[in-house]
Amino acid sequence: MEREIVIPGQLLSENKADSGPGTYVKDGKVYSLLYGVKNAKNKITVIPFSGKYIPSPRDYVIGTVIDVTPSNWIFDIGSPYDGLLHVSEYPRRVDSDKMVSTMDFGSSVLLRIKDVNSSMKVELTMRERGLRSLDVGRVIEVTPTKVPRIIGHGGSMVSLLKKETNCEMFVGQNGRIWINGKDSEMDLLTEAIELIMKHSHTSGLTDRISHFLNNEDDVVSEKDDAVLEKDLAEDEEDEGEIREDTYRKVDALLENDD
Amino acid sequence: MGNEVMSVLKKDYIYNLMLKGKRQDGRSFDEIRNIDLRTNVIEKAEGSAWIKLGETEILVGVKLQVGSPFPDSAGEGVIITSMELNPIASPDFEAGPPKEKAIEMARVADRGIRESGAIDLSKLCITEGEEVWIVFIDIHVLNNTGNIQDAASLGAIAALLTATVPGEREGRGEDMPMPIRDMPVAVTLADLGGEMMVDPDLGEETVCDSRITIVSNQDGSISGMQKSGDGALTEEQLLKAVSLACEKASELRENYLLNI
Amino acid sequence: MSDKPEKFIDENGLRLDGRRIDEIRPMKMEIGVLSRADGSCYLEWGKNKILAAVYGPRELHPRRLQKADSVLIRYRYNMAAFSVEDRIRPGPSRRSTEISKVSREAFEPVVLTHLYPGAVIDVFAEVLQADAGTRTAAINAASMALADAGIPMKGLVSACAVGKVDGQLVLDLNKAEDNFGDADIPMAITSEGEISLIQMDGDVTQEEFKKAIEMCKEGCRQILEIQKETLKNKFTKLDEVEIPEDEEEDVSALVESTLTSADEGEACEDEEVVEEADAEDDSEDVDDVEDVEDDEEAEDEDDVPEEKADEVVEADPSFEDVEEEEDENPEDDEEETV
Repeated sequence: MEREIVIPGQLLSENKADSGPGTYVKDGKVYSLLYGVKNAKNKITVIPFSGKYIPSPRDYVIGTVIDVTPSNWIFDIGSPYDGLLHVSEYPRRVDSDKMVSTMDFGSSVLLRIKDVNSSMKVELTMRERGLRSLDVGRVIEVTPTKVPRIIGHGGSMVSLLKKETNCEMFVGQNGRIWINGKDSEMDLLTEAIELIMKHSHTSGLTDRISHFLNNEDDVVSEKDDAVLEKDLAEDEEDEGEIREDTYRKVDALLENDD
Repeated sequence: MGNEVMSVLKKDYIYNLMLKGKRQDGRSFDEIRNIDLRTNVIEKAEGSAWIKLGETEILVGVKLQVGSPFPDSAGEGVIITSMELNPIASPDFEAGPPKEKAIEMARVADRGIRESGAIDLSKLCITEGEEVWIVFIDIHVLNNTGNIQDAASLGAIAALLTATVPGEREGRGEDMPMPIRDMPVAVTLADLGGEMMVDPDLGEETVCDSRITIVSNQDGSISGMQKSGDGALTEEQLLKAVSLACEKASELRENYLLNI
Repeated sequence: MSDKPEKFIDENGLRLDGRRIDEIRPMKMEIGVLSRADGSCYLEWGKNKILAAVYGPRELHPRRLQKADSVLIRYRYNMAAFSVEDRIRPGPSRRSTEISKVSREAFEPVVLTHLYPGAVIDVFAEVLQADAGTRTAAINAASMALADAGIPMKGLVSACAVGKVDGQLVLDLNKAEDNFGDADIPMAITSEGEISLIQMDGDVTQEEFKKAIEMCKEGCRQILEIQKETLKNKFTKLDEVEIPEDEEEDVSALVESTLTSADEGEACEDEEVVEEADAEDDSEDVDDVEDVEDDEEAEDEDDVPEEKADEVVEADPSFEDVEEEEDENPEDDEEETV
């Protein structure tokens, strides 16, 4: 399997039949639309390094109430388009004067996208099993294009994370992840998720995270922060070169001026 | 844009951390984020400083022009401080003329420099009553992750410390270093559930009840202060904030300004 | 400000700064430099220092600005007060307003605007230090910031200027050439070779103009190489690593599996959860997305509509592959756990 970093406008194939997600066809040839990684499995696809979540019907998302009208809750779903939850899509009957007391500004809610029309009006629903208001726990935000890595092959990563940290966890397709458990366990899970984001383009990620969580587990139970930090530092060292290159500061450039 | 609602879970998280004596990024209540300060980064300016306070980034440029003095201070130069909260710096900032937040912060930075007498304005007089140097301090905010105020103030004094009065270029005698007499440093604390936290980040700024900025000088005197936000402070909190701010300002001066 | 030099090009054919007439100034750039922006780029070109950032696609207020069938691109070229010899007043001027407009239009041909109807993509280009050619420098940086933000584009945009001094055409004007030269022709060129920005002031013959285009193209080609290198080098090590294959999976079903177990873990909700036999709709949403490649795919007209629709959806980075798989088994996602 061939994988490489590609940029917008880069020629990917002479055969238009190869065109997959993240590509376009011009004069019978396939070009990249995005800055990301090329993946040539059946068709050629490009998975971008970054990008906003664009709502699609049946997606699961975590939203935050940003406005309440007499018959709708309006949700920020981490996308250019806000979502609308009509009162009839709430699991039980709510009178219009009870809207705010049912779900107030700033509430985090597990939702499913019911429909998206052509002008990107996003309708949400809570009338499905498991959808609910999230009153405890934390919400972590990650790059939406990296959600598949949090879930892992066949859900392996999520299973691992839940098992090793004893946390409840729900991954929204809009890049918001809800976790709930003991504080120390949530801290650990948060670190693990950050680690996945950092190493999201590497192979053997599940093993790596498993290793991290197991080591961490001991560390946490010993409450030895020094060891914990050392462990993290080593992990960072792994990526030392990339980090150097990637995150070199703007001002470092300035310094070299003249 | 501009009216982001912070989720209750996030607010609770920050608040609960505070109850346990912790902060999101692992700092202690009296700990300032890492600072990276580089001076003379813009050759076209008479003085400049690029400051990173955590991920908050600000570029301050100092320009000098010959102009008229104010009638009531005919023998003194003039300081004009402006701040732009550029939309490049945050999804919450919008293009357009400075709004009250930007104007407030620019004025707090300005007062710190002016009232401390950091610049010897009498030395910026060319011909009394006719020509003086006008010092423009322009604060360009590039990335906001909280506490623009302290970054702007530290950047401004750092830029001034590196500035040259361009006498030759303007045909007004020889170049001379900016006549600096003091180094005012602003330190801001946020009141979060009664606890005072130095150098608040974006989340803390959002959750806190109010903020207090204290500008102090080399001799420990205070030359500027501003309470901002819709909460109120107790006298005890205020006095504690003053002593902590002066202590922190002295550290910042030692670490970042005295070696310029 | 310095006075007009007597000669701009010496007997060896070199310019005042030592460059050949067809040589661009040294350029370097870096992406991902600002934490708040969705995409960003810092660029130095000669003594120009530019910071560009992209926010979006994001929600657009007020609503009356929204375009029903496409994303609005806004471009703000802004000079820092201290970026030039004589301080300038902060805020927009007539000059910056015009530059913002033509620069925005330089990107409109390459950005796939139909993917985000009603939303806005904001491009901010801050000139921190100006040294001739700031609009072209800003476009080069903005192009990188757009790529960094994951905005779908048919290609990068590169820009530079050709001018005339001492009766000769020169590539990428420096300050003196800009101030005292006889012509200035800034251009932006897409990676497909089309010219998406051209302005001109001064005096050139038609012959000279033809030659100017050729020189500009060559300059932009060199700049495109620097842009490509910068993007590819950000993840130098990535070339060596394998990306696991789970990118291709049905995210929705997997997410659902996490939902179900979270639900179980939570014991019973006090709220009545209505289990509805959803009227599943196989047609999904894809058919109402317009084919954005229409004009370029005349020869593909015979494609079955469904495929075309797919292609457009696919062009959207965030749609992932969920659609296809869901179409195959829309009913059983309740069971679609691992």
